[in-house]
Amino acid sequence: MSEQLPQVVTPVAAQPRLRMPAWLSWRRLAIVVGAYLACVVVFAAFAAWQGADPGTLLPAMLQSTVLNPTALTQTLLRAVPIGFAALAAVVPARAGLVNVGAEGQLIMGAVAATGVGLAVGTHVPGPLALIATVAAGGVAGAVWAGISAVFRIWFRAAESVTSLLLNFVASDVMLFLIYEPWKDPAGSGQPQSRPLPGDVRLGDLTSTGLNASVIVLALAAVGVWLLLRRTGWGFALRVIGGNPEAARRSALPSWSLLLSAMLVGGLLAGLGGALNLIGVEGQLRPGITTTFGYVGFLAAFLGRNDAIRATLAALLFAAIALSGNGLQLVAGLDGNIVNVLLGSIVLTMLLVGRTQGERL
Amino acid sequence: MRTSARAAAAIVAAAAVVLLAACSGSSAASTGASKKATTVGFIMVGSTDDAGYNEAVEDGAKAVEKDLGTSVKVITADNIPENDSVTQTMQAMANQGAKIIFATSYGYYKYALEFAKAHPDITVLHQGGFLDGTFPKNFGTYWGEAYDPVGLGGMAAGAVTKSDKLGFIYAFPIAQSIANIDAFELGAQKVNPNAQTYVVNTSNWCDPLKQKQAVTALLNQGVDVFSQHQDCQSTVIQAVKSAGKKIVGYHYDAKSLDPDGWLTGSAWKWAPVYEAIIKSVEGGTFTGSKYNANWTGTFADGNNPLQLASFGSSVPADVQSKILAEKDALSKPGSSIFEGPIYCQDGTVLVPAGKTATYADTNSFSCLVKGVVGTLPKS
Amino acid sequence: MNIVGETLATAIPGSVALLYPSLGELISERTGVTNLGTEGSMLSGALAGIAVTLATGNPVLGVLAAAVAGAACAAVHALAVVLRGANQLASGLVIWFLALGVTSVLGSPLNGKIVDPLPALRIPVLASIPGIGPALFDQNALVYAAYLLAPAIWLFLTYTRTGLALRATGERPAVVFAGGHNPTALRFSATTVGGALAGLGGAQLALGIVGNWANGMTNGYGFVAVAVVIFARWTPLGVVAGSYLFGVALALASVIQANGIGVNQYLLDSLPYAVTIIVLVLVSRFGRSNAPESQRDALSETV
Repeated sequence: MSEQLPQVVTPVAAQPRLRMPAWLSWRRLAIVVGAYLACVVVFAAFAAWQGADPGTLLPAMLQSTVLNPTALTQTLLRAVPIGFAALAAVVPARAGLVNVGAEGQLIMGAVAATGVGLAVGTHVPGPLALIATVAAGGVAGAVWAGISAVFRIWFRAAESVTSLLLNFVASDVMLFLIYEPWKDPAGSGQPQSRPLPGDVRLGDLTSTGLNASVIVLALAAVGVWLLLRRTGWGFALRVIGGNPEAARRSALPSWSLLLSAMLVGGLLAGLGGALNLIGVEGQLRPGITTTFGYVGFLAAFLGRNDAIRATLAALLFAAIALSGNGLQLVAGLDGNIVNVLLGSIVLTMLLVGRTQGERL
Repeated sequence: MRTSARAAAAIVAAAAVVLLAACSGSSAASTGASKKATTVGFIMVGSTDDAGYNEAVEDGAKAVEKDLGTSVKVITADNIPENDSVTQTMQAMANQGAKIIFATSYGYYKYALEFAKAHPDITVLHQGGFLDGTFPKNFGTYWGEAYDPVGLGGMAAGAVTKSDKLGFIYAFPIAQSIANIDAFELGAQKVNPNAQTYVVNTSNWCDPLKQKQAVTALLNQGVDVFSQHQDCQSTVIQAVKSAGKKIVGYHYDAKSLDPDGWLTGSAWKWAPVYEAIIKSVEGGTFTGSKYNANWTGTFADGNNPLQLASFGSSVPADVQSKILAEKDALSKPGSSIFEGPIYCQDGTVLVPAGKTATYADTNSFSCLVKGVVGTLPKS
Repeated sequence: MNIVGETLATAIPGSVALLYPSLGELISERTGVTNLGTEGSMLSGALAGIAVTLATGNPVLGVLAAAVAGAACAAVHALAVVLRGANQLASGLVIWFLALGVTSVLGSPLNGKIVDPLPALRIPVLASIPGIGPALFDQNALVYAAYLLAPAIWLFLTYTRTGLALRATGERPAVVFAGGHNPTALRFSATTVGGALAGLGGAQLALGIVGNWANGMTNGYGFVAVAVVIFARWTPLGVVAGSYLFGVALALASVIQANGIGVNQYLLDSLPYAVTIIVLVLVSRFGRSNAPESQRDALSETV
């Protein structure tokens, strides 16, 4: 406990491992490709065992995700909360912090956006109300993540654990609000908030229902990438995350860096929660996030904590989630099979991908 | 960075292989029923084998497939969460050519309504919702007067209990659950003025551990007849069976799980409703019909989809005939278990004397009636 | 029955369902491996327990199958984390998603089938102690085994050479290696054994308590187990205390309501998590932490 800062450079299973000589890298490539193919084959075999015709699997999945404009729109929209949750892990990771709390931060973002959206929606001119609503979501996400950051910096409590536990608290906070004080009196008994007024909803950009949240995600991904790679702040985060000792010697203000990294992460997740609310859901209901935050964490992992790649991974996971429709309707499989698919893809990565010993 | 570029290349290569495989397969994929068949989709929130709410829907969907034969093609999706996912599933069904979609979970309501507004060519039905306003031409809700059969179950409970203490395990304080608890207690009072219903919530539609704990806690209070409003009912039945107590079921006739402890219950029989709705759509008469509204099957019109389940062996014959007589009484037009005067726990009037609560009224019930022990969650 | 005995009687079976995975997680974390996949091991154990009991009619085989299934999940985690050095938190979450998917697909036909829960074995004299006797000593075999398991694990970790090596693996692997033990093997086996215990927790839930399978029936209790270990400051006896405390908190909602008192269910539900956070914060700041050194790194590893 003498260390003030995380020791991320020492992997837990720091067994001596053979460094791959450069000429062996094609072998490595073959292993990776082979592993993913094996993953696909294993999944197809599992599906076949469950009574599906393996030949229908991929067409079924592609039809319900990318092969028609409405499905593609839905994939993009689903990628918004997952992508923001992924970015929420990416930024703190740069400083060596682990944010497993995107789920709770998404929820709190949606909760705050609901509160503010309902309060200002009809009293304030449209664009202003919209900005206030989204900003409230971001702030709430930042605050929720900030709790973990404060505990980490001044109480030395592992932020990975506190952020994980806060997910469950956030969910209970939301349930309390929509079953009790915020319950829509005109909701026929449904547990839900009042619907948000049109001024604070995102309008459709295309006939298939695409809205601006997807563009915001793309901008955020690029923005985070630039922030981490091209600014002094991003560099300082990297220094502190990569080598706390060096950071200390160079007198970097460690606590403010750690705090800001976590706050920005929470802000992103909160934005994701708010955008999903005003772009897709329209009112607060019990099931609005259901594991998007955790899936986002895995997307950040699959994207190796690179903003762009993590966002692309989020897009992939969004497509996998939606492929469940095709797998059920066309191939006749159980809906939960998408979790098997998502799990096996990341597991393959865990087993054959580069490990933490080989850092960027 | 170089290694990561290679990893990226690997992923791209893998994706290419996958796409190739997809293209080679897609030509064979577009099979389907004959062109004349109407595609009907059913969306369920849970597993199709839960011996509860979702299995009842699945049974209904299977019956539709069997009864209507080649004129329909039934597609189903289960385990669809109550968020925008259900919109995406409805869209996927539409892409499959679905003309009628049944969204069968309570929390799907808003999504189903929005989807109907956006897709005038698809008829969307929501199971259990209640629209207070103008209906789109292609949208309807349907349900049964669930509280009437639940009240009959309450009669069986009130007649059989030795301790005069009944237990009711629910998940969240939604209007339907409140109406069911109230009806259960009112039914019990009809045969046993001393009967009290103890309520416990579980904060979850299917958490076996909490269900079991609720049963244990209620047993400790001397409760000897149980009922519930949960999505899955096996755990409570099993727990009651182990304790040698009695159970009134909900959603599904699960008498076979505990033939001795099973008193009766209510079980959904959706097939006639589904088939009538499908036929009205196919015949072009849906818009403006009773199904293009808040349709509620009642005992009075003989169409209540929630039926009285079979009696178990421990319900005496005279009790059975009393219950059946009450069922006949409830089958008179305009009658209901909620016939005033009915008082809330605090003495305020829930239903005034001389009035009978309608289905619409019950959708805004927010108090437990006198005789129920325990309160709704407190802020 | 008085309210204390009543609460205990309701809480103990559930506490034991938390105690097994918590002890498993403790052993695993002591060697430096955090396993969020505990939830997955519990789910797999629950399904395997019910499926094998239904197929064979023999609950003993069911319990064994649960341990094997739980261990299998954890072995995958160990493979990724210990042998491949993969990110522990990501791997744990993946095991959870995989188990959620696989058990739901395979378990679907078993929803709604019931088996007799493990029988309660009344211990003659002890069960007659007024108040707490029936609650503590009229339980199933898995509960009694749990009573013995916690002290056994404490003795093992404190007084045996292997136990010492295990703990040292979480602190100074190099020293363990120099001492003639293989830290990798210790980590792998500790994680796998931890998974087996989590599987037993699933068995207690499905076979010991309720007697049926339901999709996703662990509802986050595996995550509670991870919280219990932190709450317990990585000590076996603390884990016992934590499991029973959280078990009581879980049961309290039912007991209070059955006594006719209204509760704020949302507040009660969030209590175990909030309390764990507070304890973790206080312990981290003011207490001497028992956290294995590598554990501190493990929880803050990025990629």
